[in-house]
Amino acid sequence: MRLPWQWLLTITSVASLSQAHASSWNMPVGVTDTSRNIFGLHMTIFWVCVVIGVIVFGVMFYSLFRYRHSKGAKAARFHEHTSVEVLWTAIPILILVGMAVPATATLKNMYDASEADLDIMITGQQWRWRYEYLGEDIAYTSNLSTTREQIRGESERDEHYLLDVDEPLVLPINRKVRFLMTSDDVIHSWWVPELAVKQDTIPGFINENWVQINEPGIYRGQCAELCGVNHGFMPIVVHAMEEAEFETWLEERKEAAEQEAMGVDREWAIEELMARGEEVYQSICSSCHQGEGQGAPPAFPALAGNEQLINELDWHLDRVINGVSGAAMPAFRNTLNPVEIAAVVTYTRNAWGNETGDTVQPATVAERIAQ
Amino acid sequence: MWSVVKSVLAALLGVQNDRQRQQDFSNGKPVAFIITAVVVTMMFVLLLAGIAIYAAG
Repeated sequence: MRLPWQWLLTITSVASLSQAHASSWNMPVGVTDTSRNIFGLHMTIFWVCVVIGVIVFGVMFYSLFRYRHSKGAKAARFHEHTSVEVLWTAIPILILVGMAVPATATLKNMYDASEADLDIMITGQQWRWRYEYLGEDIAYTSNLSTTREQIRGESERDEHYLLDVDEPLVLPINRKVRFLMTSDDVIHSWWVPELAVKQDTIPGFINENWVQINEPGIYRGQCAELCGVNHGFMPIVVHAMEEAEFETWLEERKEAAEQEAMGVDREWAIEELMARGEEVYQSICSSCHQGEGQGAPPAFPALAGNEQLINELDWHLDRVINGVSGAAMPAFRNTLNPVEIAAVVTYTRNAWGNETGDTVQPATVAERIAQ
Repeated sequence: MWSVVKSVLAALLGVQNDRQRQQDFSNGKPVAFIITAVVVTMMFVLLLAGIAIYAAG
């Protein structure tokens, strides 16, 4: 049998173990004031519950033991005790109100998205996120960048398996950033635990949320609302930067966007379109139509050797620009720019044995979109 | 009248002593309790709404 001090040792070692594992068992403290408040509330309420549990169960087990039948204890026979009853009703009320006050204050603060320094539109799409820096002319999609080989188990899975993207959401620290969140298709949920943001994105609705990050770093999250076959393949990566670094990034992005806009007017060579098209195809299209255009019928038709695609350029362009209503194929008119659409259409018309020799110019696509 | 209010408040808290309960059941009229209870509940709702408005304002 263990002696009391041995029990104590066991308990303290378990406690220190839980301390060491606290970060993996508990919710994260996070990197915003809001997330810290939430964590603080969580721990306060947890300890209130622990104290209540110890007192209630302590009294119960002590009474069971002290007044047990074998020692000749007799049950008391009284009907009521108003003052004790009032007391044990009033104490929980006070505890609940005591917990509600800081919880409400935190909640109120969480909902106050006013007076933000930067507005970002977050749009959920099957199965990627689109970020639009409102008033800055910057918009891009963020796609899973974990390789197909890793997903299939053909190569070793890295540390950020299914939690890596091609283009993270870039945010400045120490500034209030407001998110306007919606969806193009089904309900998604934008969830980054370290930022204490978990907000549904609903088609036809705009939800608000906000963050003010205190520490630069990379914060990862996932879609938290089952949204279809690739729900697990649309992670979120937030790159929080120092403010000066963010400004530089913003300028670079703006310049790149301008260059891209200029690219619409010029004539592109087939090699350029093919190279660009392959990038776009691999990041956007291949999750459904597969890496070699072989598709996954019947939901996702093959593009390689597709007779209609090869013979009807106009039909092909229309599918990409306007999507297919009632099917999984989304409209890319607002997601991809004319250069990207022209490139990916040219690519799919000339890759994997689809040797049409067609090139589609960005200007043509821009015209089609404008119609 | 006061004893009806007291009994309604006791019911709101969920605690009542047996003596008062026996008295209510032998002397009281149900209508008086129902009306008082409706009024007290409305006052309670208004009180909570007031606190919420004050806290939000």
